[in-house]
Amino acid sequence: MTDAIVAEGLTRVFNGSVRAVDGVSFSVTEGEIYGFLGPNGAGKTTTLSMLTAVLGLTSGHATVDGLDVTKHPHDLKQRIGLVFQESTADQDLTGRENLEVAAALFGVPLREAPKRIDYLLERLALADSADRLVKTYSGGMRRRLELAVGIIHSPRVLFLDEPTLGLDPQGRAGFWKIIGDLRKESGMTVFLTTHYLDEADGMCDRIAIIDHGKIAASGTPSELKDRVGGDVVTVRPLGTTGTLEAALRALPGVTSVAVQDGSFRVKCPSGETLIPKVVAAATGLGVSLAGVSLRRPSLDEVFLEFTGREFREDEGPTATDRAVFLTRFQDARRGRR
Amino acid sequence: MNVRRWSALTRRELLKIARNPAAIATSLLLPILYLLLFGQGFNFTKLLTIPGLTPGQQQQYLATYILGAPDYFSYFAAGMVGFVCVTATLFVGANVIFDKLFGTLKRTAASPATATDIFGARLVAGSIQPIGLAFLVLGLAVLLGYVGLAGLHITGAVGPLGAGEIVLAILLLSLMFASLFLALGFTIEQPQTYFAVVNAINLPVLLTSAALYPWGAMPSWLQGIASYNPITLAVEVLRINLFGGTYYSHPAWAYLLGLIGWFVGMFTIATLLTRRALAPKV
Repeated sequence: MTDAIVAEGLTRVFNGSVRAVDGVSFSVTEGEIYGFLGPNGAGKTTTLSMLTAVLGLTSGHATVDGLDVTKHPHDLKQRIGLVFQESTADQDLTGRENLEVAAALFGVPLREAPKRIDYLLERLALADSADRLVKTYSGGMRRRLELAVGIIHSPRVLFLDEPTLGLDPQGRAGFWKIIGDLRKESGMTVFLTTHYLDEADGMCDRIAIIDHGKIAASGTPSELKDRVGGDVVTVRPLGTTGTLEAALRALPGVTSVAVQDGSFRVKCPSGETLIPKVVAAATGLGVSLAGVSLRRPSLDEVFLEFTGREFREDEGPTATDRAVFLTRFQDARRGRR
Repeated sequence: MNVRRWSALTRRELLKIARNPAAIATSLLLPILYLLLFGQGFNFTKLLTIPGLTPGQQQQYLATYILGAPDYFSYFAAGMVGFVCVTATLFVGANVIFDKLFGTLKRTAASPATATDIFGARLVAGSIQPIGLAFLVLGLAVLLGYVGLAGLHITGAVGPLGAGEIVLAILLLSLMFASLFLALGFTIEQPQTYFAVVNAINLPVLLTSAALYPWGAMPSWLQGIASYNPITLAVEVLRINLFGGTYYSHPAWAYLLGLIGWFVGMFTIATLLTRRALAPKV
């Protein structure tokens, strides 16, 4: 397996002093779904913009599909797909016309383009509204059209920037199902940013937690959770417990046992493998059990562990947000973009 | 430039223009108001009638002011045909700003399309429709003469070559102003700023041209400025062909050369600014 994305010391400074992305290094294996998770203003979109040649690098180095992002921006744009946070489709054009323009821009062969467009419209449940102007589309339809535009040329690497922002839970679930299916069918690599913990947990093969422009932790969702302290197996005994507590402590892999409201909270790296041992130990001691439950730590706890603060999805703008906004505002006033 | 990308983007622009008839109506509003109100109320040819002159002498006297046109309205109507090229191209720049605000431009810039593809498509799409609108204004000006109002009287013999020169003049003027407005659109971020700048350009450019004034009545310093104004250059091509070239110091092709110069200059500046605006932000 080769790496589809390699970033080394990626840094972006706005306004001369605000380090929106500060020395970020990571690699994404071909075919992987890799998630950048963090609150607003953490540096997710800035990282994605640098990897897609939309934004220049202040320092560092990055390759996508083997291409240096600063040396070959044109070839790079041909090979990647990009789905923005906001809807970028042309409102005065129909869904199909938007896809026709995209097919031409990305050089989808003329003969294949109509078939590819029909396939994507069908696949993304837009076939019935294909010939309606985009301005009449619902939020979910616009998101799906945005995705269709992003993958019109069957890119090798797909970048998704907060792709489900503003969608209802049903819309989000539907969107991710499509991404999962497409990945399975085409084997494309997916790099996504999100501030929805459940999305990162459910979709990504690996996650990097980014905060204040730096990667705080990275790994598979379960690795990250393991590093927080693993699973919690709660054992609820019936009647007297005898020496059960000591027996639980002695089980291999158990890191701690706490007694809470007459139940034992047993921490261990892997709850599934511990449960049969717990049951066997209790049976051996003649202790009856009312129940055994397993709770895996959530990414909320992971985020708290690695950044030292609670994850809130509705956080207001951070200092970086304000600085980035200010830079763009000043650029705009100076007539730059 | 990639022909397929460029033509897809041009088609997109033309579809957008066709689906926004309000923008076309707006660009016609000013020239039509000038024809229907200003041209009618200000048709001062009557004031220049001097007692005692024969009709032939009278016509000759008048011709020194309005360069061979049969009356002021006809002279002025040709000017409005030039002016419509300005009002009909200014929204191409506004479209760029709205595409920036709606994210559409970001999407195109993130594709393999080059700045030349993006600029070229908007330039061509934006310069095609003023030709139609210019002939609409020309037709309307002629028609007014048949409904009891002052109208445009064509006294020259316009052959196929003359018609070609007129189309070329309108096209070059539109291309030049479309380049200017695209350059503004790619560099300005806010629609309010854009319209303020455009307003600050439109009126001075019209008022320093020979579109409205009788040439013979202009002070020499204003004549000096006006003779380099691109609207003047295009309008003179129209007037030479519509009313005859006796009173003009240069043939039509000389004015066309001047227009080509204006277009090449503006095109160069505009493509540079567009390329800068679409480059990855460093």
